[in-house]
Amino acid sequence: MKSSLTAVLAAAGILLSGAAFAQDAWPTKPITIIVPYAPGGYTDGVTRITAKYLEGKLGHAVVVDNRGGAGGILGTEITADAAPDGYTFCMCSSGAVSIAPVAQKVGYDPLKDFAPVSIVSTTPQVVIANPSVPVSNMAELVQYGKDHPGELNYGSSGIGGLMNYSVELFQSMTGAKFVHVPFKGGAPATAAVVAGEVQLSFTNMSDAIPQIEAKTVKGLAVTSKERSEYLPDLPPAADVAPGFEAISWNGVMAPAGTPQPIVDKLAGTLAEMAKDADVKAGMAKMGATLVATTPDEFKARIAGEVETWTGVLKEIEAKK
Amino acid sequence: MIDVFSLLGHGFLVVLTPTNLFFCLVGAVLGTLIGVLPGLGPVATISLLLPATFALEPTTAIIMLAGIYYGAQYGGSTTAILVNIPGESTSVVTALDGYKMAQQGRAGEALAIAAIGSFLAGCFGTVVVAVAGPPLAGFAQRFASPEYFSLMVLGLISAIVLANGSVIRAIAMILLGLLIGMVGIDVNSGQSRLTFGMPELYDGVSFVAAAMGLFGVAEVICNLEDGIQRGLNAGRIGSLMPSRAVMRAVRWAVVRGTLLGTAFGILPGGGATVASFSAYALEKRVAKDSTRFGRGAPEGVAAPESANNAAAQTSFVPLLTLGIPTSATMALMVGALILHGITPGPTVITRQPDLFWGLIASMFVGNVMLIIINLPMIGIWVRLLLVPYRLLFLLILVISSIGIYSVNNSPFDLYLTIGFGILGYLLRKLDAEPAPLLMGFVLGPMMEENFRRSLIISRGDPLVFLQRPISLVLLVMSLALLITVAMPAIRRRREEVFQE
Repeated sequence: MKSSLTAVLAAAGILLSGAAFAQDAWPTKPITIIVPYAPGGYTDGVTRITAKYLEGKLGHAVVVDNRGGAGGILGTEITADAAPDGYTFCMCSSGAVSIAPVAQKVGYDPLKDFAPVSIVSTTPQVVIANPSVPVSNMAELVQYGKDHPGELNYGSSGIGGLMNYSVELFQSMTGAKFVHVPFKGGAPATAAVVAGEVQLSFTNMSDAIPQIEAKTVKGLAVTSKERSEYLPDLPPAADVAPGFEAISWNGVMAPAGTPQPIVDKLAGTLAEMAKDADVKAGMAKMGATLVATTPDEFKARIAGEVETWTGVLKEIEAKK
Repeated sequence: MIDVFSLLGHGFLVVLTPTNLFFCLVGAVLGTLIGVLPGLGPVATISLLLPATFALEPTTAIIMLAGIYYGAQYGGSTTAILVNIPGESTSVVTALDGYKMAQQGRAGEALAIAAIGSFLAGCFGTVVVAVAGPPLAGFAQRFASPEYFSLMVLGLISAIVLANGSVIRAIAMILLGLLIGMVGIDVNSGQSRLTFGMPELYDGVSFVAAAMGLFGVAEVICNLEDGIQRGLNAGRIGSLMPSRAVMRAVRWAVVRGTLLGTAFGILPGGGATVASFSAYALEKRVAKDSTRFGRGAPEGVAAPESANNAAAQTSFVPLLTLGIPTSATMALMVGALILHGITPGPTVITRQPDLFWGLIASMFVGNVMLIIINLPMIGIWVRLLLVPYRLLFLLILVISSIGIYSVNNSPFDLYLTIGFGILGYLLRKLDAEPAPLLMGFVLGPMMEENFRRSLIISRGDPLVFLQRPISLVLLVMSLALLITVAMPAIRRRREEVFQE
């Protein structure tokens, strides 16, 4: 009798805390942020800076839990399946959220299984070419790709990644034709452009900058709509392909069903973080631009990207 | 040349400050420790320690992290020799003869040979990095996919040579390894293969799980089956130091292993593994009596250990001169440098001379520290074998499990290890060796990837493998090796025919 009474009381307590207390008092215990990539990488770096800031603001430990594997799919899926209690989040990335569900079978629906909180950082790609390629700007590259269809090879981090899909989108918008050569990861693809094994690549900013500085590759453009502060000399690729954009982002997401007040509170804290000078400087070291969005803006962005990449996939399939 | 020495001298000035010396020692000690603990590798350790290095100067941080990396190469041979558990693909072959030596009561000798060979090779590799880093990086860049494909072919043929039993069984094991290597997402099509819908398998089977299962767990099962008699000769430790005669016997093995390791280490991806396997295969080929191999031949320890330590040093060449990471550990180093505000790249030598030359000088200092740490430790490691097996095997299994789990924080890898343990046990019963299997498993995916990439770039022309000189040389070497393997078998059959 006594034990069942305790159980009833405990159940009532959980209900109450779930409904009312948790949201005002949140957080009351340490928070976990899952990183779907290995420690030491780009997303890991972004997460550790964010975690440090959040610890200071929220007054509780923020644990970074690396669950790498399958290009981020594994950790993202773990987040989708986690309890929506406001204590498990993910530093997700565009690759596993917007592209992977289009390109392959994954165990989550990017539009239904998550409560997006805020994008934290963005970084554009850089269009690089081996110095032997006889073009010096994007217009010439497009012209060359039209005049010599299927002659130039482009390297990517693997099929169905942003480095693959952004070039496919660019081709369909400009009519240039290149041949896809997949590698295992972005760094080997960039190395192949340096060595001349492939001629060009839409590559990660952090891989591209040192090679452009050393003049081992030609930098032609960035894939954001505006110029990047890290490579101010390069024009946006949108100059030759109006509307073209391929940006990879890292953003905090929660499992769907996480109480809205918690999501809003965290989004508010992250919006404050976007104004913090120290955090900005930390992100800049890695070539990341610090940003913030509202949960609704974030949601809309994911929906828009899924639509774009679904269209690209249809075109790739149609070519086969 | 004089320039190199003055720069290197400057590097020593950077290292020989109390702080840098201290962290170099910390790195070497930690590296040795994690090398000795099965499963726990440099990747997990460096990623755990990365945040702790933020407070240090970038050069100090990199000196320590590099110490962990090459220290682990030293320590990795210890478990391979003592309990037949290779922690990394490069120490798989060390286990073949090293463990046999330990069973014969020569564990101390094997460990000493490994340490001395590693030291000499590590120093030589460092000299090469200092003197010829940039031109070597240029050479490594001439390796495109056709060359890598041919290199992998050479590696797989070496794997046949290192088998001691029947050639047919060795080939069967390589093919099984290739099949296991197929598991995961195909780079070229994006389709998942043999994953049975499990996302844990999308990146392929974990090497650590496979190696631990096939070698370590299978060994434990076999020893327990023999009635806890333990396969090791308890109580017989033998001498800790190799005799002069043995040292003389292995000196050319050390030289050959060092040269092979130095050359292959520069090549990103698989270079160090191919180096250790082909160093072993080479020793077996040049030995007067090749039947000693697999039964405790000291050359079988000296050559691959020298090769993998020389490779550990020269594998820094692509990172330092081109800014291109060649392995997971190197990618972590890049991450560490970036977080310290240094962008590794072709300009790092001129822009950060303190870092570049300080790191190289620290490799000399670190190697000296490692030999000083490791030689006296041999006595302690060997005494570990005196622990009753009923306790020792529990210790091995528990520590291995922690190590395997720590790689990806994944319980799935533990199930895989159990599966591979059972497979390893069955293979032993069938008299099939696991080393060629692991070789096929490691090299197969790289071979396929480079084969298909070569053909995409050549637009489907298979002659590309013969038209490129380096690739052609590697293929001719493979063919020559294959003939020397096949010859004895053919001769034997002809003799049988004649006798009839």
